[in-house]
Amino acid sequence: MKKITIKAKINGEQRTLEVQPMETLLEVLRETLGLKSPKCGCDRGDCGTCTVLYDGRAVRSCLILAPEADGREIETLEGICRDGLTPLQKKMHELNAFQCGFCAPGMIVSATELLRRNKKPSEGDIKEAIGGNLCRCTGYEPIIDAVKAVSGKGRR
Amino acid sequence: MDKLKYVGKSALRVDGIEKISGAAKFIDDIEFGPGLLYAAIVESPHAYARIRGIDPKKALALDGVVKVVTGRDFPYRFGLYMKDRWVLAQDSVRFVGEQVAAVIARDKRTALRAAKLVEVDYEVLEPMLEPLGAAGSEPPVIVHPELGDYSHVPWFFPKPGTNIAHHRKTRKGNTDRGFTAADFVLEDTYTVPRFAHCAIETHGAVGLYDHSGRLTVWTASQSPHTQRHVFAETLAPLGLTHKDVRVITPYVGGGFGGKAGVTMEILAAALATSVRGSPVKVIWTREQEFYNTYQRQGVITKIRTGFRKDGTITALEHTLVWDAGAYVEYGANVVNAVGLSATGPYRIDNLKIDSICVYTNLPPGGPYRGFGYSEMIFGLESHMNMAAKKLGLDPIAIRKKNAIKEGDTLAYGAHMNPNGLMQSIDKAAKAIGWNKKPRPSGPDKAVGRGIALFWKAPAMPPNASSSVFLKFSEDGSINILASAMEIGQGFLTAMAQIAAEVLAVSPERIRVETPDTDRNPYEWQTVASHITWSCGNAVRRAALDAREQIFDVVERGLRLDRDALYLEKECVKSRTDASFSLPLRDFIINGIMQEDGTFRGGPVVGRGMFMPEFSSAKSNPETSQGGHPNVHYTTGAGACMIEVDRKTGRVKVLKAALAVDGGRIINPSLAKGQVVGGLLQGLATVLYEDMRFDSKGRLLNPNFTDYKIPTAHDLPDEVIPILVEVPQPDGPFGARGIGEHTMIPAAPMIANALDDALGVRIKSMPLTAEKIARALGGF
Amino acid sequence: MPILDGFEYHRPGTFEEALELLEKFKGRAAILNGGTDLVVELKDGRKKPDVVVDIKAIAGLDGITIEKGRALIGAGVTFGAIIQSKELEKRLPLVVEAARTVGSSGLRNRATMVGNICSAVPCLDSGPVLLVLDADVIVRSRRGEHKIPVGRWFLGPRKTALKPGELVTAVSIPFEKKIRGSCFMKLGRYAGEDLAQASVAIAAMRGAKYRIAFGAVGPVPLRAKKIEAFLAGKKISDKVLSGASGRVDREISPITDIRASKEYRLHMCRIMLERGLKKAVGLL
Repeated sequence: MKKITIKAKINGEQRTLEVQPMETLLEVLRETLGLKSPKCGCDRGDCGTCTVLYDGRAVRSCLILAPEADGREIETLEGICRDGLTPLQKKMHELNAFQCGFCAPGMIVSATELLRRNKKPSEGDIKEAIGGNLCRCTGYEPIIDAVKAVSGKGRR
Repeated sequence: MDKLKYVGKSALRVDGIEKISGAAKFIDDIEFGPGLLYAAIVESPHAYARIRGIDPKKALALDGVVKVVTGRDFPYRFGLYMKDRWVLAQDSVRFVGEQVAAVIARDKRTALRAAKLVEVDYEVLEPMLEPLGAAGSEPPVIVHPELGDYSHVPWFFPKPGTNIAHHRKTRKGNTDRGFTAADFVLEDTYTVPRFAHCAIETHGAVGLYDHSGRLTVWTASQSPHTQRHVFAETLAPLGLTHKDVRVITPYVGGGFGGKAGVTMEILAAALATSVRGSPVKVIWTREQEFYNTYQRQGVITKIRTGFRKDGTITALEHTLVWDAGAYVEYGANVVNAVGLSATGPYRIDNLKIDSICVYTNLPPGGPYRGFGYSEMIFGLESHMNMAAKKLGLDPIAIRKKNAIKEGDTLAYGAHMNPNGLMQSIDKAAKAIGWNKKPRPSGPDKAVGRGIALFWKAPAMPPNASSSVFLKFSEDGSINILASAMEIGQGFLTAMAQIAAEVLAVSPERIRVETPDTDRNPYEWQTVASHITWSCGNAVRRAALDAREQIFDVVERGLRLDRDALYLEKECVKSRTDASFSLPLRDFIINGIMQEDGTFRGGPVVGRGMFMPEFSSAKSNPETSQGGHPNVHYTTGAGACMIEVDRKTGRVKVLKAALAVDGGRIINPSLAKGQVVGGLLQGLATVLYEDMRFDSKGRLLNPNFTDYKIPTAHDLPDEVIPILVEVPQPDGPFGARGIGEHTMIPAAPMIANALDDALGVRIKSMPLTAEKIARALGGF
Repeated sequence: MPILDGFEYHRPGTFEEALELLEKFKGRAAILNGGTDLVVELKDGRKKPDVVVDIKAIAGLDGITIEKGRALIGAGVTFGAIIQSKELEKRLPLVVEAARTVGSSGLRNRATMVGNICSAVPCLDSGPVLLVLDADVIVRSRRGEHKIPVGRWFLGPRKTALKPGELVTAVSIPFEKKIRGSCFMKLGRYAGEDLAQASVAIAAMRGAKYRIAFGAVGPVPLRAKKIEAFLAGKKISDKVLSGASGRVDREISPITDIRASKEYRLHMCRIMLERGLKKAVGLL
């Protein structure tokens, strides 16, 4: 299968990659680049564990073909906290917001996108932003509380 | 209670930063290098068929395929409580999705393409898909004709020649007399279908059988030592012994019981032996996660209860027929556990419980959070409410009247432990505003309130045990080595807190990590909500052992009176000498130097082990009397206020409260996490999770598109966790487990609230909007 | 399941290039836009194209153009962009209302309205809304551009009037001044994201005229012309609502599947129609 050369900015670094057309962005991030924080929970866009920022927007990387990423800017959780934990992450740690942690990367990416464009989200905004990130452990409350706390709205 | 410094505080999770930064590694994240092989599984499309032949020719012809393996290569049975399951199917397949062959290839896609090319010739047979017919005396299909040959634990009673894998009978008192004495007898049938765990991480395992004869298996598992044991036993014919087998478990992305025991992991272990020297990975897709891992069994329960006018229960007959699936090596213990406890948390003197484990041609049932109690309690707590209604009694009053108290005799003869059941009832009811029903928000809406009690005991072999090593580093920090598993519940943190309390070293200075069976001492499994209690006890003992050694060293090295010694802020201090303060780091590895230049002491290594020695599964097989199969029960109550749309049938949960008695809560924020998470999981089973099989036994919705689990939008308006503390005498600082319990009351409390709101009683789960609208006569 | 079958990936920079490719490969080419539909089909093996044509590099496809009488929603416009468009919120609130119900925010950042109507799955959310708004689908081929009224766009489950060699460039939605109020209602199994088991779009217009369309309750979304005729000229009252909902079974043909039974879908369409009409005329 013929490979395609793409150039993409991954976590702030310009990379040149050889990808197969039928690989997804998720596969390339995890297997070619060794970035393991985006996960494969369902491979159909239903669970949100593969969420990354794509030109600043939260997307399901399992539904993007690798060659589409040419010229795009991609940020995974590794990139988001490259220079240290963000205030959101610190607050999540403070509130013991996660349990098994498998949904955490996708969840944090979605919440990070929200906070970058809306510094004071309502509870509805928060639920909208993470509504596609499934979590089986926590019941979502401490995650929502962390986003609220970091946006200055306090706990429910 | 005495003033504790670390236990009882909401310490930050020791694995928190790893998980929040994305550094936490799960099974699919571990790199094995370019030599990693992939296995794709050939699965049965039939629920019941004989395998006439398997032809791997076309698969082997693909470039990159290394091997194709079938049941012929591994004719070995395995199973936890009963050995009824095969590594790969032998002569027949018993459920849609059962593993028939495996293709090992250099890359994932080649393996998958090749798996499609393996030709299997089946003689398709008519499957047995429902338990009542299967349990009959002349079922058309005997799913396991060789049932009589299967080895099993002594407390199972299979009936060879039938589909009954186990029948737990519990008999106490005289039910005939009890029913005669009743003023009112209520009999009804309840149906609970199968449910899926839906951990967000799918099952996965990597096996490597190296050239020295060592088999290492990395698995996403709740039970590394039990897995090692099953691998070693099952593959013993290949020359493997326990010493050769090593299981390493990274973080697990949710277990809920589904990653307990051994299911697909046996494939990685077995396949590794076919490709010696290369690691081989088996990772389940989400679809496989739905149809070829444990499912929560379905059950049909018939309850007949006698009541006096004042609500006192005079007799109970409870028959539970379980759809346990094609293999019941673990699931049969669910049936067993409920058979011993199907009274619910009530004092009942005359009872007859029959819990029957039935083979069907559906996916294997197994452990799922609650271990059968959610299924049983749905019927029982719905029944209590209906009885209350018929008798004109308050649903809380009737429960309090019959609520089991400390010291009361349990169904099988042993005695009930201290418990906070009564206060849980009061607190849960108060939290939702039991006496203050809000007005409906519109003309089409109705409001209802519901309550349900719950209890559960760990269902374990009588000798389930935990063991722990505790070691220090030169700077006085601590490593705890245990083989319990962090599946999200926060066990690593709780253990750090327990050790911290004993050794006066703060939890941030204590490392507890996921285990490696070579390095970490034995733990039975991380199931049954028993780790805080059992492993917690072992950790406490290891810490106490370390403390004794510390005092020994100081006594011998400095000739101080050890009875006056105590630990505080990582130092040894003396009650009789306020100026004495010796930091642990000064001697904990290297000992205390004497005048002559010699040293006393050496590395302090604590050792702790806990195994209950009062637990016994030996009892009368016809009555279950005489044993002590359950170490203790955790009790509690759930209550809810709901609003129902009379036209659409849609339920909105306004308030949900759950009070659970954890004895002594080691970490309130983690405990609350269990309540909120468990409650939402429980609400999902009653409101919208809905497994659908077709008439040929195929699962129609093996995906999140059509098997709906809660999103952030599905939270009740208000969730109120209530942590009750009536100490467990033999628990660490009085603790007992709560992990599973938080799901158990959800279904009946909703069903009861629905009845309260609209006078509609639905006795089968789930209570979807469609089902409710239909019951209301809307269409 | 990863995609097992290989294909050539092309990313044309202009319409001409794209149309040339589509002409050349005819039925063996699949158009890649947001990908939330196609990529799943590729993984499931339901589509095995020889060639995938990614149209996202074509200039001018991802804009929302507000003209004098209409809005043009380009093929590349995502549901997320639709929701964030203040112009659309103001002038075509029904479109934004429906867009909000599609999937989740992460999906909406990629999925497009044009992709949605091209998939033509019976449960699609855009269908009923575009029918009620009398939209047109703008199609381009090497022979030029033409428009297809959305009422003639949906031919069957996953079947549209698009021919091989053609590309949808935009959806054109006229601004109908007479619309006083509108409402979109969607039946899901719970509060989280779900594919519609039934949906209804309603536009209440001046002079007591109504446009109503149902989705997910037939092979294609459809305008409920009989109900519209019944309601024409009538003021909304309980009696009128009852008459309208009593006619729902003459318009739709829902099926029973694992998501819902046909009886419940019919039942819910009646309820959603009544509640939707009330909301559209401002009575709720």
